Amino acid sequence: MKNIVIGQYAPGKGFFYRLDPRTKIITVVFLMVAVFLLESILQVSIALFVTLFLMIIGKISIGRVAKGLRPLFVLLLFTFSFQIFLNREGALLLSQPMNIGLYSLLGVLVLTVLWRLLARFKKFKGLLFLFWLAGVYALFAYLPAIGPIFKVFDFEIYESGVVTSIFVVVRLLIVISLSTVLTLTTKPTDLTQGLESLLRPLKRLGVNSDDFALIISISLRYIPTILDEANKIMLAQASRGADFNEGKLVEKVKQIVSLLIPMFIIAFKRSEDLADAMESRNFVPGKPRTRIHELSFGMTDLVTAIFTVLVFAGAIVLRVLP
Amino acid sequence: MAIRFRQVSYAYPGYGLGNYDAIKNITLDIAAKGEFIALVGQTGSGKSTLAQHMNALIFPTEGTVEIFGKIVGPKRDRTIKYNELRRKVGLVFQFPEYQLFEETVEKDIMFGPMNFGVPEEAARKMAWTALDLVGLGPTYLKRNPLNLSGGEKKRVSIAGILAMEPQILVLDEPTSGLDPRGKATMMDLFKSIREATGKTIVVITHDMDLVYEYMDRVLVLDKGTLAFDGTPDELFRKPNLETLHLDYPATIRVLSAVAKDLGIAVDIYQKDVAAAVSAIQKAVRP
Repeated sequence: MKNIVIGQYAPGKGFFYRLDPRTKIITVVFLMVAVFLLESILQVSIALFVTLFLMIIGKISIGRVAKGLRPLFVLLLFTFSFQIFLNREGALLLSQPMNIGLYSLLGVLVLTVLWRLLARFKKFKGLLFLFWLAGVYALFAYLPAIGPIFKVFDFEIYESGVVTSIFVVVRLLIVISLSTVLTLTTKPTDLTQGLESLLRPLKRLGVNSDDFALIISISLRYIPTILDEANKIMLAQASRGADFNEGKLVEKVKQIVSLLIPMFIIAFKRSEDLADAMESRNFVPGKPRTRIHELSFGMTDLVTAIFTVLVFAGAIVLRVLP
Repeated sequence: MAIRFRQVSYAYPGYGLGNYDAIKNITLDIAAKGEFIALVGQTGSGKSTLAQHMNALIFPTEGTVEIFGKIVGPKRDRTIKYNELRRKVGLVFQFPEYQLFEETVEKDIMFGPMNFGVPEEAARKMAWTALDLVGLGPTYLKRNPLNLSGGEKKRVSIAGILAMEPQILVLDEPTSGLDPRGKATMMDLFKSIREATGKTIVVITHDMDLVYEYMDRVLVLDKGTLAFDGTPDELFRKPNLETLHLDYPATIRVLSAVAKDLGIAVDIYQKDVAAAVSAIQKAVRP
């Protein structure tokens, strides 16, 4: 419970930290669109290098961004494998007959058990997974066809499959890295202030950006508090014998109820208190407010804007040109 | 000894700033019967963290806690039924809001025993006994625990733990937020529970008057280390309690002022108001 970090903001110094949040939000949106306009694998590779280069200039540790990518690793892997296996266009690169039989399935089972046993060594997790994958492939492909065979099929990889899978994954990588850079270098409060300022023109359409920004910043502010509270409730109920790890389903439901009801009560009480505190400091909904930190554009914003316009224009030109 | 702490440290994981040591290298023993222990220290000194180790709610980062013969170390041990330990050492949290959730007081008190597999009828009996023990009458049984006053909620939350029939009772600031009369009633309640059952009771508190008047052992935590373990008499006879971020009980403060400013030779170490008054009387009219 304690390991959940909401808002990945990491304090630091560098180019991106000095930028106005509005510039950052618009830039990230335009760069993402630009990346989606690119068509060839060469172009996206260049875009990836440019992204990495920008991170180095901005003194953002690439390891930190990579850490942010970790939860999305499964998604990337899925995208990659779907593209590579299901795309059947272009030249045939590899064709390997595979036998799924009793012995090869048993082999896979043994391999999986071995893999899970070795999973304690967290350092080599990635390497172990690759070994497992290679082992499974070798078992299906090269084990002599002895014993009962359930199914025989050809494992095929086509050129266009490889190209599109790399293309899609690189494109996703860029998009995710860009948004990670944004959340890594911008405080949640600045982010909402930026959004509020950007959405202000929508007021004519009846969307109140002030309220919207307030809602977002209050929710962000209270997520850690509520998590902390949930943790305390869990401990309090655990000391009354509610074991959230073990027990039958019926007991579990009861135990979750014992967690949820105090949480709701405390959350409602907190929001009432907050409303009172805000009103006692003269907050009136819908009335304009002044700010301690006014947003302002500077030279760095101008440079970034020019860079973004150039990149965006370049992407359009590449797309339109035959 | 029912609970033995051996060089226990606990660190809360921190972000960027490294870990935060809540308690450091604590070694102490607590007997299963007859002790009435106060756990004191300034805010943030690690009292609650220490208390949560007593029923294995959290595991030490270093060292071991032995609870009724089961050794709790940094790692979860599959052979230990932690739930059993939580039944033997009942821990009442500071805020009753964190645990009250049922629609009637009776059901809420029954939640604990029923989690430990006590049949419904027996759990109901236990709830009645526990409610009686905390001094609330049977009229409370069918009331909604969320509509009670602060003091009543506290009593119901204590009854919720007492109904589990723990061998040791640990209470995190049971007197906070109560008026002076409520505090005294609460302490008298613990005294009567102790006299009736002989259970060891550990109370976290900031109130030195209560410590001096009621308790027979004090543990002082200062910035996560165990700074003192002994009787209140020993503690309050120390000259520089400020270094431990503690205050003297009101009786000692008043009597020492009387002795110093009025020049009356009086024994300043008196546990309650009545004793203080008779000490002054004795000094003035021998």
